[in-house]
Amino acid sequence: MNLNPFWSMSTNTSRKQQRPDNDEQSAHGDHRSSPARLQFGKKQLPAIPKNAVPITKPSSATTSVQSTNGTHASYGPFYLEYSLLAEFTLVIKQKLPGIYVQPSYKSALMWFGVIFIRHGLYQDGVFKFTVYIPDNYPDGECPKLVFDIPVFHPLVDPVSGELDVRRAFTKWRRNHNHIWQVLMYARTIFYKINTAEPLNPEAAVLYEKDVQLFKSKVVESVKLCNSHLFDQPKIDDPYAISFSPWNPAVHEEAKERMFAYKRRPEDQHKGTQVSGLSWVKPGSTQPFSKEDSSSQS
Amino acid sequence: MTMSWLSRLNPRGPGTRTGRNAAPSGLCTADPETCLMVFQNHWRQVSWILEQREPSSSSDDLTAVRNHTDQMLCLLAEERPGDTPDMDTSVSPMGPILELVVTENILERVVQWHIRRGLDLDSQGALLKLFEMLIGQSHQPLLQHTAVLHPLLRILGACGDPELGCPAALENSLVLLLNQVCVTMARQPVVLELLFRAAPAQHGSTNLLIFSLLVPFIHRDGAIGQQARDALLLVMSASATHEAVARYISENSYFCPVLATGLSALYSSLPRKIEVRGDDWHALRQEDWMGVSSLVLFMNSLEFCNAVVQVSHPLVRTQLLDYLHNGFLVPVMGPALHKSSVDEMIASTAYLDLFLRSVSETSLLRTFLRFILLHRHDNDTILDTLLTRISSNSRLCMVSLSLFRTLLSLHCEDVMLQLVLRYLLPCTHVMLSQRRAIRETDLYGKSANKFLSLIPECCRQNTPPSTDREDDTAFWGKALTSPSSESPAPHRPSTPSRLSFFMRQQSAGSTPTSSSSSSTQSTPAAPDQGHPLSPDTPASQQTFTECLEWDCGYLEYLKDARKGIEFCSWACRNWSAPYDGENPSPSSAPSPPPPPTSNPSMALFPEHFSIQGSSSSRSDTPPNQRAAIVAAARSEWSSSERDSGEWDVTIGKNSCISLTPRSKKRSLQREELPPKQVPPLVPSSAASTANAAAHAHASPGPRVPASAITVSYQPLLNGTAAQNDSQERGLEVKKVKRDLGEKRYLDENANQNGAVMKCTPQTCSVFGNDVGEGKSVGAIEEGNQSVESLIEELLEQAPGESPCPAETNGQGISIEAFTQELRELEDRVKERQSAAAAACKPDDALREERQTQQQQQHPLEEETGTTAGGADGRGDAAVVGLCSPARPLNQPVSQPYTGPFMVVLFTKLENMLQNSLYVNILLTGIVAQLASYPQPLLRSFLLNTNMVFQPSVKSLIQVLGSVKNRIEAFAASHEDFPVMLRKAQQYLVARGRVDWSDLPSVPALRRSDSLVKSRKTSLGDLILRHTNSPTRARHAAQMALAHVRDGGQSLHSALFRTGGGGAGAEKQAEALRVKNAVYSSVIFCEFLKELAALAQEHAVTLPFAAHNPGPEE
Repeated sequence: MNLNPFWSMSTNTSRKQQRPDNDEQSAHGDHRSSPARLQFGKKQLPAIPKNAVPITKPSSATTSVQSTNGTHASYGPFYLEYSLLAEFTLVIKQKLPGIYVQPSYKSALMWFGVIFIRHGLYQDGVFKFTVYIPDNYPDGECPKLVFDIPVFHPLVDPVSGELDVRRAFTKWRRNHNHIWQVLMYARTIFYKINTAEPLNPEAAVLYEKDVQLFKSKVVESVKLCNSHLFDQPKIDDPYAISFSPWNPAVHEEAKERMFAYKRRPEDQHKGTQVSGLSWVKPGSTQPFSKEDSSSQS
Repeated sequence: MTMSWLSRLNPRGPGTRTGRNAAPSGLCTADPETCLMVFQNHWRQVSWILEQREPSSSSDDLTAVRNHTDQMLCLLAEERPGDTPDMDTSVSPMGPILELVVTENILERVVQWHIRRGLDLDSQGALLKLFEMLIGQSHQPLLQHTAVLHPLLRILGACGDPELGCPAALENSLVLLLNQVCVTMARQPVVLELLFRAAPAQHGSTNLLIFSLLVPFIHRDGAIGQQARDALLLVMSASATHEAVARYISENSYFCPVLATGLSALYSSLPRKIEVRGDDWHALRQEDWMGVSSLVLFMNSLEFCNAVVQVSHPLVRTQLLDYLHNGFLVPVMGPALHKSSVDEMIASTAYLDLFLRSVSETSLLRTFLRFILLHRHDNDTILDTLLTRISSNSRLCMVSLSLFRTLLSLHCEDVMLQLVLRYLLPCTHVMLSQRRAIRETDLYGKSANKFLSLIPECCRQNTPPSTDREDDTAFWGKALTSPSSESPAPHRPSTPSRLSFFMRQQSAGSTPTSSSSSSTQSTPAAPDQGHPLSPDTPASQQTFTECLEWDCGYLEYLKDARKGIEFCSWACRNWSAPYDGENPSPSSAPSPPPPPTSNPSMALFPEHFSIQGSSSSRSDTPPNQRAAIVAAARSEWSSSERDSGEWDVTIGKNSCISLTPRSKKRSLQREELPPKQVPPLVPSSAASTANAAAHAHASPGPRVPASAITVSYQPLLNGTAAQNDSQERGLEVKKVKRDLGEKRYLDENANQNGAVMKCTPQTCSVFGNDVGEGKSVGAIEEGNQSVESLIEELLEQAPGESPCPAETNGQGISIEAFTQELRELEDRVKERQSAAAAACKPDDALREERQTQQQQQHPLEEETGTTAGGADGRGDAAVVGLCSPARPLNQPVSQPYTGPFMVVLFTKLENMLQNSLYVNILLTGIVAQLASYPQPLLRSFLLNTNMVFQPSVKSLIQVLGSVKNRIEAFAASHEDFPVMLRKAQQYLVARGRVDWSDLPSVPALRRSDSLVKSRKTSLGDLILRHTNSPTRARHAAQMALAHVRDGGQSLHSALFRTGGGGAGAEKQAEALRVKNAVYSSVIFCEFLKELAALAQEHAVTLPFAAHNPGPEE
């Protein structure tokens, strides 16, 4: 979908840096499709790369899709792809405060994200994370959410950085559970701390017994995370979210574009100056119930 | 056509003048003082002549004065203004010559002298030219000085003789001068004020002389008309901020009525019948009408109206729009759309479609739409009438579909409300438990999958033996370069839309990677190939080949669907409500009109145009019988064509239209016409004798007094024309019912208008034509009163020696005569000011109209005892507009009904197999267009296949399922179905390629833009010329051609390989049936993919935020 230009820009730069890696990697089998893709990446993120179905997880995904979607297996990738895209659309529609996500270039089943915490114990924290969606989505388990750097938090595994999502989504139900809810949950834990059945018992205990120490540990952890903000993305992917220090030459213009940006249809043709006509008075269902404003101006 | 008038005006500004500047500038490059001396010298000699006591008649004097004046004005024109101390140019001092001209009042004295002498044409013309040069070239503002302005107005006044108008010889100079004045005025708005104030003594009648001089030229053909319209437009835009002038224009001038009634007159001269040879023709493109002079004339005037609406003061705009509604749409367009002959319905529908596509000003569009949605003609809204025609089986269906496509493409909330949404608003079509699901999108591709699952096996399993397989791949590969000999060289198509998909399909299939078909490569184009799993697995190879057959192109559908939905939701961003099943609330929504008891849309219009229709409507008849019917219909058609039309229009190569008179009356009239009117209207010698009877009916006795005229039409309608049609064509003519209440209002209105528009007999040549025709054609429009009563008044005033006033009419439309009359009209305006003012309040008229409707409505309501709709006490007039008068008496109101539009579309869709290829292309295009709308109510109704509807509501998926079964049944009964299917695909692919080869850069928008652009065929190809060849032969040729165009031959050869000799009509009919079925199968599969793609894309489309509310921008 139309992502905001800021992200597309940041990912562009990251991709540039990584192109050598990509080339190296091409030996592993990404070779054939990458040239075509890079072309698209240059302008803007294509919602779905035009020529290629993104590399969803191999065979297992396909078979499961086939089974869930019945006879028309050949469209299966489209369905999975579009389901994820639809989830992504829902995320955008939710306008979650301080949360930004971006599907990976390589697989729609992997999303990169970042959370900005604006107040509370974790104030000023900027936590990068990755969402892993099971390949039998939406019929599988709930998605995993892993922080790049294990934040000091009772519900975050101190080693792997994985957030305990499952406690909130004991059973993932299609049509009822959506990925935006996972993201929302990931944000909530920083404002409302829950210590029951912790993944990080130390954090849980400290929070219960010694809040001051807990707080200082949190501040430390936030500092640590922020100090690694400009690091190369943990996962090598052109669409991985990467940060760079403010550079007016680059960012000023991007910022301006972001604020001036008005979304228009992708392919708006010229001759349609007349469109979006409505003379229906709000609240009415009668045609021409609104005064013709044009004749009165 | 985008109507940007003002931009065109610019080139006619100072730039074009340079050529003429050359001569005098060489003369006066001398210093200002020398120039002044020369000027004074000339003036001395002129004034000597002027001061002679008795005006000399000597031609020497005249010559001398002229020569000197020429020189003097050249000097004046060349003079630069004095040096300006400020930057402010408007206060720059006069140059010395101008100062002299002003102080001595030179121009006034010269002009006075001429007038005293008696102006002959020659010197009048010379003066006009002189002033035109002066105003056009002067370097300083002249018109601000009364010493220039007054003599100018005096000259102009002399041209505008109240009785005779402007002599023809002076017209060009006059209009050019007026144009020049208006250009100046546009640059110096002060001049408008001065012109407005400076009411010249001898022409106290009109404050704005230039304006009233220009008005008669509004509808004029050629450059002069264009200049006049440009000039008027400049007045309009200059007066946009000048309340007094605007008020003058709307209250004291006849500008708006002339413009509106002029459109009516021009409309009546349009061809009544659009004869085209292609089976696929369905809409007028610019290339089509550019060569039809009457249509060009009309479009020029419509464009002008559009421009006036754009630039003028709100007062003028409102008045013009009201006049267009009440003086053109209601009395002319309304009846035209209700003509009883199919040809005329086709023509008027195509015209309306063209007008809608051409108008760009929102408020003008609003006027048109209000007319279509709310105006009732003969108790039905125009919309109702148009809807019923979709179910016809002729070209009428296609033209109507095309009109609806245009309406849908406007993304207008009001239109969508009336067409569909109001029926869905109460949510009675869904099970109560399902209402929550209305807003759900197809998150997991369930609906898409359901649509795709409906692709019949017989179309999917197109896997022939391996030899064929190779052949096929070869086809896909080489189709780009050379069409194989077995597929006929495709004719350039004119119904592109869906065909583009075939083009795509092909291009997707024949990318270098895939055509080389080295299966070791995973092609990005194949949707199921995206996985980097070992590409050599047999599974992947298998899906790859399958994709070639029917899968590919799906990505393109997705892309198209995305564009379509995005654009649509962007276009709908200013709608008043989201229509999501909650807002507007289902409980507060007024109940929509219920379905009519008997479906009027069925069999109202028997098939008429091509035989393919006839097989469809009678699906219950056994094949043999059907064939017989077809044969009979054909012979009937060809024999009746000879004498069916009363009005034949031939458009020759030289783009002149010849109207073939169908009665002696017309040929007689022709002789009475002034010769200059004849050339553009060459009457064909092929006057038919068959219409003697019609003639007898059509020529009435001496005209009856005014109030009776509408009545006098009645017998004509039910007599002549209806008979004609029902006998000769088997048409069921809908009888015109006249409601008394409505008529009372109409008559009243007629009188009112009539009082305003008093005309002399000459105008008859304009309107009288309409009368004569209207009669013989037999569709009498009750809304026509304003024009009718005008005619009537004209007739009343007609000199006694004419025994039958109607017969004095020319058979042609003479704009000259019309404009001449306008001049006289204008003089009378003053006397009729009050009446005009009354007529100018169409809001009142509208209110009245509504009241009348309400009156009609209430009795009905009381009878039926229903309380829904208009009776809900609010007294909102618009509510009345929503109640269908056709409400059946015993119908329970709560019966879920999705509205006539959906019903007719679904019915048509269900019979897809019988529809022609082109109907199916248009039809599925419209459904897809509807399915692009983001409003959840509509989206869920069309695309949510999991939704449970009330049992009485048919869903799209049900309809499609039924089509699928029919296709499968058909395929089962035709063993060569796979072969035919592939041939049909090949043809469509090839045709799609031709279609798109011209448009390499615009692959995107298929239904809106490309439809317009893709018709490059010239008019001559489209509108069949009436040659002298016998009708029968021509028709036969047409039929043959249609087959070729359809690629029918290849199918035929496929079908009748064994058949050989018996080329009877039955066989042909059967072939046609088979052909339609095979093509529909192809279209059906593509349509399913399109719907699936739309369902998927809706889930991933983000809404657009509403910008500043307001219809503009």
